[in-house]
Amino acid sequence: MMKQLFPIRHVMGYLSSLILSALAVTALLDIPFAAKMAILTVTAIIQASLQLFVFMHISETADTKKELYLNIAYALFVGLVTIFGSMYIFVWGWYS
Amino acid sequence: MKWDEFFVTGEPMIYGAMASIVLATIAIIVGLTYFKKWGYLWREWLTTVDHKRIGVMYILSALIMLFRGGVDAIMMRLQTAVPENKFLDSQHYNEIFTTHGLIMILFMAMPFIIGIMNVVVPLQIGARDVAFPRLNAISFWLFFAGAMLLNLSFVIGGSPDAGWSAYFPLASIEFSPTVGNNYYSLALQISGIGTLLTGINFIVTILKMRAPGMKLMRMPMFTWSSLITSVIIAFAFPVLTVALALMMFDRLFGSQFFTMANGGMDMLWANLFWVWGHPEVYIVVLPAFGIFSEIISTFSKKNLYGYTSMVVSMVVISLLSFLVWAHHFYTMGQGAMVNGFFSITTMAISVPTGVKIFNWLFTMRKGKITFTTPMLYSLAFIPIFTIGGVTGVMLAMASADYQYHNTMFLVAHFHYVLIPGTVFAVIAGFHYWFPKVFGFKLNERLGKHAFWWIAVSFNVTFFPLFFLGLQGMTRRMYTYSEETGFGPLNLLSFAGALGLAFGFVILVYNIYYSIRYSPRETNGDPWDARTLEWATSSPIPAYNFAITPNVKARDALWSAKYDNLPIFEGKIEPIHLPSNSGKPVILGAIFFAFGFALVFSWWIPAIISGIGILIILASMSFDRDHGITVSVKEIMETEKKLRGETL
Amino acid sequence: MKIDATKPLEYGSEENSNKIFGFWIFLGAEIALFSTLFTVYFVLVNRYATGPNGSEIFELTGVLVETFLLLTSSFTIGLAIHSMRLGLKKPMMIFFTLTLLMGLGFLGIEIMEFFTYVHEGASLSTSAFTSSLFILLGTHGAHVAFGLLWGTSILIQVKRQGFTLATANKSFIFSLYWHFLDVVWIFIFSFVYLKGLM
Repeated sequence: MMKQLFPIRHVMGYLSSLILSALAVTALLDIPFAAKMAILTVTAIIQASLQLFVFMHISETADTKKELYLNIAYALFVGLVTIFGSMYIFVWGWYS
Repeated sequence: MKWDEFFVTGEPMIYGAMASIVLATIAIIVGLTYFKKWGYLWREWLTTVDHKRIGVMYILSALIMLFRGGVDAIMMRLQTAVPENKFLDSQHYNEIFTTHGLIMILFMAMPFIIGIMNVVVPLQIGARDVAFPRLNAISFWLFFAGAMLLNLSFVIGGSPDAGWSAYFPLASIEFSPTVGNNYYSLALQISGIGTLLTGINFIVTILKMRAPGMKLMRMPMFTWSSLITSVIIAFAFPVLTVALALMMFDRLFGSQFFTMANGGMDMLWANLFWVWGHPEVYIVVLPAFGIFSEIISTFSKKNLYGYTSMVVSMVVISLLSFLVWAHHFYTMGQGAMVNGFFSITTMAISVPTGVKIFNWLFTMRKGKITFTTPMLYSLAFIPIFTIGGVTGVMLAMASADYQYHNTMFLVAHFHYVLIPGTVFAVIAGFHYWFPKVFGFKLNERLGKHAFWWIAVSFNVTFFPLFFLGLQGMTRRMYTYSEETGFGPLNLLSFAGALGLAFGFVILVYNIYYSIRYSPRETNGDPWDARTLEWATSSPIPAYNFAITPNVKARDALWSAKYDNLPIFEGKIEPIHLPSNSGKPVILGAIFFAFGFALVFSWWIPAIISGIGILIILASMSFDRDHGITVSVKEIMETEKKLRGETL
Repeated sequence: MKIDATKPLEYGSEENSNKIFGFWIFLGAEIALFSTLFTVYFVLVNRYATGPNGSEIFELTGVLVETFLLLTSSFTIGLAIHSMRLGLKKPMMIFFTLTLLMGLGFLGIEIMEFFTYVHEGASLSTSAFTSSLFILLGTHGAHVAFGLLWGTSILIQVKRQGFTLATANKSFIFSLYWHFLDVVWIFIFSFVYLKGLM
């Protein structure tokens, strides 16, 4: 019964998400800034993909799989362009 | 708050507006009661979830808003027609150019386009309705609530007056203390949510509801353009949602996003506004391109030239449209590298647009062109829009833009893009699909009269503005002295505006005239057209197609007529349709009350209506809607009646 | 209504799979929405004027508890859907209830955190930084709060009607929503709190 209610895939996904969160906290250690940002970025991206593939079953629907990936890709394109474009305008590329 | 602050006072014209609003409301109520039409209105229209009726309501609202925005425009041109005119004061002028922009973009162009999408797209893909019919009704009523809220601002509390782009710090509570810009943030927010839901609805409809055989690359070009537009809507409107929410927090709750003190950054508003605002331009222009593609192909009696390149260029435009926004504020203070980057992306976007222009020209080459009213608008669009596009490339050059930034040159440019690009398209589409929806054509002679007035007067109105801009006349100035020498060209422009107005009067008269005298069609295909929407009868039965079409070629109906590839091969089966619901219109009304209460910071009514919204949503979640089933017998009878056969 | 028995119940009809697909598009729009909020936060994060900055007000302990609650609730809603696919109503409802309770706990801690911030002199109107912090956290928190109401109404429907085309579909869509809120939280956790404490 327990095996049926707690499939190994979900349990592993959950444990990895906890471990990844703990890993992210190591960014608070005294290491170079670039390393900190790398830790945060990599753990966050892996965690997000974990949710997407393990829990949200994005890859299970055969008839709309391509559309779902395109949807997420387009959303990420718009989101990243907005974030980095605005940073480019106001922070890195500001006339001073 | 005192009552004399609540109502806008002190202007004879506003008293006139109030009186006419009250009189019109009384006339509508009396009329509906006298003719016993309340039940009809509620059953057939207010509660409808039928995509065709929702589309008609969108288009009707858009026509009314076109009138409102047009009156604003005439007043602006009248005020600037001669130097030092006293017709409007500066405050009134500010309100009018602000509402003109807002109404024309968000409450005229958008609903007109979405209305045509609603009517046409499900028919073009052979579907019974959109994917989520009730959500579609919610979308419409949210748009309508937002539109009414913005219009109410004219007589209650005062209109927004910081331009349609509402730049901070001018639009902040410090410099615009009236409720005008609260209306801005809330009216746009409410209708924006409706638009976002429409976008999602149409993506699902087009990707999942197509008839058998209707592969993506067989879809009519208007459906393709609607798909791309819906994608842009789904990803651009959330940005507007956030920007408007931040504006509301700044104005109502004292946050510091766009303020001048405490670290606030006023320019961030301009940034967010245009992150949404530039894709918005393509939201209103891409479906217009789709409309022109359909019309040019139909009236040239040829298939569309370069179908694949049309699709590819729209996809490229949709991606590039998110990469160009900073060209709206080259002079804001960001560095030269930033301006250089956005200058290049802006020029790049003119390439796919140019591809489309050539495709339309090649579609007409060696075609048998018939000069109907919709075709005339499409033909006029090509050269006029090209002028708009070329001046756009001029504005795209950052260093040159410093010379004519925010002058009348810019005003002329975007009218040269938006009027042929969008207004001509929706009018052409209106003439083209009118017989589909109502079963008779608009009168061609009157239609052509209106066309010539509109097309010629448009150029008389806006061409002089290029020169005024180059002479240094900035936009949004309410008057000027005689020494500037701006007088004669402005007067010419006013004359053009009168001609435009006359053209629109003929257009409206044509609707009345055609309802009375136009011969009724019995054939669903009055233009000898090519796509699937013409395969069903006009007016269209509630279930769209008695038999689900089976598509075998790109121009499905054309192939059925001339290449012997029949569309309807199955037999009639019972059809399942969604049932009507009163909840969307009630939801719209509560949203209106919610917005109105927030505009005036009336917290208790706002909380009550906020809870009301949640209650309606919850009750919708608990609803069990099984819909209605139309039997084979009913379908047969309807089909016979529509074909003009007696029972 | 045609039921396709080869697929899980939540995908069982055309309408159902359309709804799931539509909700994915909505989540795409939500990605754009939260990206914009992150944009605002990143542009304004160093503009704290005379108010406190992130490292002065953030407390790691509360944030870790919030993260643990949300990650665990994401796990349990996943298990709820898994039980639903096995047709086990009672375990499904238990996992679903646990999810909502942990969501409630998360929300409680977040509200307490907000009170602490205001107490320490970091209110909505203190500086551009605090405004952008509150709007980002607040929008996420409002999503969680809405999720609690929505989830409760779905739970009631599952209890009354069991697993039908409608309730299975709603439960599945709710699980997508909940996982998505977890994804957003991961980015808040990393790029607001941890980066602020760096």
